[in-house]
Amino acid sequence: MPNWIQTITNSRFWKSFFRHGWPDNPLDRSLVMSSNIFFHLHPVKVSRKSLRATYSFGLGVIALICFGLLSLTGLLLMFYYTPTIERAYTYILTLQTQVPFGQLLRNMHRWAAHLMVIVVVLHLARVFYTGAYKPPREFNWVIGVILLLLTLAASFTGYLLPWDQLAFWAITVGTSVAGYAPGAGPTLRIFLLGGTEVGQEALTRFYALHVMLVPMGILLLTSVHLWRVRKDGGLAANQSDAEDR
Amino acid sequence: MNKSRVTESFSRSSSKTYSLVELVHRAPTMMVDHGPENTVFSFPIVALIELVLVLGVVMALLWMSLGVNAPLEEIANPNQTTDPAKAPWYFMGLQEMLEHGHPTLMAVVLPSLMVLFVILIPYLDNNPHGAGRWFTNQRGRSLTIKTALYVLVIMPIYIFLDSTFPPRELLRGVLPDLVSQVVIPGIIMSVIVLLPLIVLNRQQPNAREVMLVLFTVLFVSAIVFTVTGFLFRGPGFKLFLPWNMPGGYNPFMNL
Repeated sequence: MPNWIQTITNSRFWKSFFRHGWPDNPLDRSLVMSSNIFFHLHPVKVSRKSLRATYSFGLGVIALICFGLLSLTGLLLMFYYTPTIERAYTYILTLQTQVPFGQLLRNMHRWAAHLMVIVVVLHLARVFYTGAYKPPREFNWVIGVILLLLTLAASFTGYLLPWDQLAFWAITVGTSVAGYAPGAGPTLRIFLLGGTEVGQEALTRFYALHVMLVPMGILLLTSVHLWRVRKDGGLAANQSDAEDR
Repeated sequence: MNKSRVTESFSRSSSKTYSLVELVHRAPTMMVDHGPENTVFSFPIVALIELVLVLGVVMALLWMSLGVNAPLEEIANPNQTTDPAKAPWYFMGLQEMLEHGHPTLMAVVLPSLMVLFVILIPYLDNNPHGAGRWFTNQRGRSLTIKTALYVLVIMPIYIFLDSTFPPRELLRGVLPDLVSQVVIPGIIMSVIVLLPLIVLNRQQPNAREVMLVLFTVLFVSAIVFTVTGFLFRGPGFKLFLPWNMPGGYNPFMNL
């Protein structure tokens, strides 16, 4: 290593930030994982089999990437949006025609949302067909199913926000299904919409759910989900790898 | 401690110099109860794989977003119904179910049972053996493929026949609504879903094989219903071929 790099990496400032040496040996490669908040959700070591593309297809990671991309583009969209039935649609039009890269921003948010739903469903199928729900991973499977439902909720609540004919009638049809639930159905629908029809109250509630409650839930449960993957010994491929020997 | 497992798990040819002291029974960590493993350090390989995935996903979405615009129709108008009025695509399976029986049964009870079953899978099949292998073994793979083919044939036939000769319309006034809208569709659905299990039961399956068959029936059914509702339903929510929709209706405009 050149001298000046060593001077920097030996400084007290650098060492207060990175609590490990250059990761070219087993100890420091372990410390990278355990002393970094983003890396620490990973196991320190993984089996070669779990890295095989045809084992996991990287679906869980892709879902997480979609979520990150959606948070980022969603935040930018919030700068240009107001959830009122008089102005929401106009803001979308303005975004698409006046704001630089506004149309691209909205497209990316939309397609990433659809991709996330598809990828999360495929991830569920992958985990099922590889038997990765088996003990000790039972409860992480349950968390995963809840995350799938939250992903649908995130997509569904976002669907209303452009306030065009497509959004209005899709949410009208979609929430009418909730009304068929025996007993609590009609009450549930009124609770969701803030009234008997899709209007300003529904837009306000869907907006709050879409930008706050549902993403927070996804963030929290994803953290638990990833943490448990590591606590349960990484991907289930580790297990079969050890059994094969 | 179970002595026989010691000799099973740890091979004598191991080059490791330490010796086995204790086996911890049923502990949820990957190192316990197993022999020398074939692992690598997560850093940097996992970080690199994730970086490549980030770049790939961002590039694919950017590419798609440059080419295809997100749909935007006229401003919402509660007085003017669109035809067809469709839910978002991932709920089209539910909307398609509504066409085949009483809404409470089709859109609430059956989907809830399905979600409940999916949540309970690990508790119904709790044998840890075989985790981390696609379909567990060759028999599991062939069971899955056969079941999927069965659903891919029977469900479209059911959807088509039930839409062409709907029992609840033909039997209106002949039988009570409860029978024509709940009992008959309920029985038909149960037979379609449970038939593979009855066939499988004669081969003395284990819990994993029952799960494979039941999950595949439900999963492929959900796909068939979603695709039918999304692609094959046109104006008046009637069945059409996707490339032959009346009035120039394009299902993909609903994305």
